[in-house]
Amino acid sequence: MLIKAERAINRFSDFLGTVAAVLFILMLMNVFIDVVMRYALNEVSIAMQEMEWHLFAAMFMLGVPYTLRAGGHVRVDLVYENLSIRRKAIIDIAGGLLLLIPFCLLVGWYGIDFAHEAWSLGETSGDPGGLSNRWIIKAVIPFAFFATAISGIAMILNSVIALKDEHETKIDRGLL
Amino acid sequence: MIGIIMFFVALLMLIFGFPVAFTFGGVALIFGVFAEGPDIFAFMPFRVQSIMENVTLMAVPLFIFMGIVLQRTRLAEQLLEAMGKLFGGVRGGLAISTVLVGALLAASTGVVGASVVAMGLISLPVMLKYNYDKALACGTICASGTLGQIIPPSIILIILGDVLGIPVGDLFQAALAPGLVLIGCYVVYILIYTWLKPEAAPALPMDDDLTHRHEQYIRALKAIIPPLALILVVLGSIFAGIATPTESSALGGVGALLLAAIYGQFNWKMVYEASQETVKISAMVFAILLGATAFSMAFSYTGGDYIVEELLSDMPGGAMGFLILSMVAIMILGFFIDFVEISFIIVPILAPVANALGIAPVWFAILIAMNLQTSFLTPPFGFSLFYLKGVAPAGVRTMDIYRGVVPFILMQVGVVITILLFPEWYGLLD
Amino acid sequence: SLAMFGTAQADEKVYRLKLAESWPTNFPVFGDAPRNMAAMAEKMSNGRLQITIDSANKHKSAFGVFDMVRAGQYDMGHSASYYWKGKVPNTLYFTTMPFGMTAPEQYAWFYYGGGMELMEKVYGEFNILSFPGGNTGNQMGGWFQKEINSLEDLKGLKMRIPGFAGEVLAKLGASPTNIPPGELYTALERRTIDALEWVGPSLDLRMGFHKIAPYYYTGWHEPATELQFMINKRSWDRLPADLQEVLRVAMRTAAYDMYIQSYHESAENMAVLDKDYPKVQIRTFPADVMKALHKANNELLAESAAKDPLAKEILDSQATYLKKARRWTDISDKAYLNSAD
Ligand code: NA
Ligand code: NA
Repeated sequence: MLIKAERAINRFSDFLGTVAAVLFILMLMNVFIDVVMRYALNEVSIAMQEMEWHLFAAMFMLGVPYTLRAGGHVRVDLVYENLSIRRKAIIDIAGGLLLLIPFCLLVGWYGIDFAHEAWSLGETSGDPGGLSNRWIIKAVIPFAFFATAISGIAMILNSVIALKDEHETKIDRGLL
Repeated sequence: MIGIIMFFVALLMLIFGFPVAFTFGGVALIFGVFAEGPDIFAFMPFRVQSIMENVTLMAVPLFIFMGIVLQRTRLAEQLLEAMGKLFGGVRGGLAISTVLVGALLAASTGVVGASVVAMGLISLPVMLKYNYDKALACGTICASGTLGQIIPPSIILIILGDVLGIPVGDLFQAALAPGLVLIGCYVVYILIYTWLKPEAAPALPMDDDLTHRHEQYIRALKAIIPPLALILVVLGSIFAGIATPTESSALGGVGALLLAAIYGQFNWKMVYEASQETVKISAMVFAILLGATAFSMAFSYTGGDYIVEELLSDMPGGAMGFLILSMVAIMILGFFIDFVEISFIIVPILAPVANALGIAPVWFAILIAMNLQTSFLTPPFGFSLFYLKGVAPAGVRTMDIYRGVVPFILMQVGVVITILLFPEWYGLLD
Repeated sequence: SLAMFGTAQADEKVYRLKLAESWPTNFPVFGDAPRNMAAMAEKMSNGRLQITIDSANKHKSAFGVFDMVRAGQYDMGHSASYYWKGKVPNTLYFTTMPFGMTAPEQYAWFYYGGGMELMEKVYGEFNILSFPGGNTGNQMGGWFQKEINSLEDLKGLKMRIPGFAGEVLAKLGASPTNIPPGELYTALERRTIDALEWVGPSLDLRMGFHKIAPYYYTGWHEPATELQFMINKRSWDRLPADLQEVLRVAMRTAAYDMYIQSYHESAENMAVLDKDYPKVQIRTFPADVMKALHKANNELLAESAAKDPLAKEILDSQATYLKKARRWTDISDKAYLNSAD
């Protein structure tokens, strides 16, 4: 049951990682094309220039929950590294419940209003030829923070499983 | 008061080993909500957006990608090994090469996260492969990756120019000499250290099949040219006005792919995997920035900025006394507060005093910039240390990194002292 | 007299307002306006009205001031109305318009020509009160690496010029370009862009553009940039009538004060520029370029007016007032300047 739930969440986080990886490639091409167009053809598109940071922002924001699942968020290992699996699991459960999940939920919660405001005003870029529908990129904030909270649940489940079954070294987070 | 307690709680929590980003965020949550209520977090989306919109930070993923592609295609390894061999029997050749490549990267970006991570990816595995002392390797990478702050273009200098009202170009020019001196110090230190402690940095073995020295050199030069040319193209694109510094990092990424293609190593799988790896490392860096902005929000909205202001408002008179005390104060605060906060909160308090004492603004700015650069390296909150730990192989511990940076911090302090005592050496008194 | 004492007691209550400005800490001229305003309000109210100012370095969102004031996270804001164009298009018209009114003309329009009422019409819907917040005076047309001698020279001109003015230039074939402020200097120096506009001598010199670009063009696109004080309606309503009046007077005085301070700083810095950098050449666009820009500007305004009745009302009001006021400017200041040389 726990294992199933953890796996489902992990698939979700991995999917976000795939999306983010594609966004990164698009961003790289986007910046490159903008430079070439401006230098070689004297052509500047404000919309394309704005698309650069939209892709960039969505990429790293969606990358956060994926990286949590992949164990890529850096830890100070002065103490952590020498702890038993049991203790590591306890730290991850406590940190997840007390720090990560409340933090992500609260920012995500206020992010809803933030994005909703942009949606209700029909906010666009203020620059000539800029992108419309600002709410989409603003909605990435609540989405990414909620997704990180969900990914945090998987981390806690993983630790709970590790506590139950100490023989399996489930925890490999942060030691990439 | 809450601000100060917050720092120590964060410090304690970090040691337990929960991810840095969420420890910052969670501590901010606990203290922010306790002191001001949950509505303080209504400010967070604005702060998150300001990171999302900060296009100079695009250099972070772009440089990371370039680093990963160069690493996967083994071009980076070849570059560093070849450079190391050019130093012949000299020990520490790889570390010196790292400093030089780091200095080149520094000249094309001012974003520390970008250069530390790129250098960590490119050069840490190579140094470890050749049995370098971990601390020496980590210290060298953190220090040379952080050079981007003092070598123009640089974010610190841009912010200080803004805060102190000095044209950015003047600061860029003034920062060159101190930056070069710092690079020189690093190189000399590595030479002396490896001479005293040969086992810390073995000289690279020469290729057996080549008998003559000059053949070795020619082979090395051949390996150096492509990746070095790439880095020079990135730099050149800025100087030729083709790209802004941020955009130049995208040229670096595309150029790395091009090199991979030339060497027959290009395929979409490699591109995708490099991109996925880029996402992972970028998200690690940006999660720290997100957590840190929550932390500084809680700090300043619970009155922390006023405490700092009060502490600093009574500086003693006398130009030298003022300079020394303000440098010490910035150094100590740099242990805890990030450089942007220092530039904006503390420098405006000090600037009018410096002005009244007739201290040349450019001199003052360079002193502060050098000092703030050090704050990236000082444990426990030095961001360079987190970034390197985030990309380091499993065997490298936080303690290796902490030990490694100490000599480099001391060198930086030494250079700050010479700037303080002999500004004319650096042409800083006009 | 006992009753009088009682009311006096009640009036001792201290009201605290939080203001978010769009500028960095200690930003000259722009940031002086809210600081002066807060100091005046405190003095005039005998300490009963206390306004604390948070700079963009504290709240981290120069362009989020509108939302933060609207939501009540801050009681007040100091910013510029045209920043909200993407959120509420009609806010564009309350800062300055290309080929629009000069500062005295525009102040006259705001206070006596119906401008304040129109501004209330736009902002009222969002529970915000908006007041003039200080004028930069005529802004310079920008720093150019190349001379503009004809319409042809505008084609493909890569210029950092945000907002509506960029749209006008784009209509004539120029390429408005986004460059982050931190990279502007390098971009202009290395000629990644050909030109950029900033403010005027009062603030341009600290950016150092005069060291890297030979031509400094006179203005056309921001003849009277008026900053803005904003107040959340609920915060305003909470204040007793006398403090509302104190605040109103403090804002109006601080705004006017910023206008004359800008004038002074520009004059001072222009003198420095003339003396220390005699190689900088002051230029004005040729008449046919100005004419074409004016025409493009009017076409774009006509498009906006056709799309939205309130936009039409504001633009008509401005156009009518400008015509009337300009007639007077011509035979007063302009005639004087032309004849007194
Ligand atoms: Na740099
Ligand atoms: Na302007």
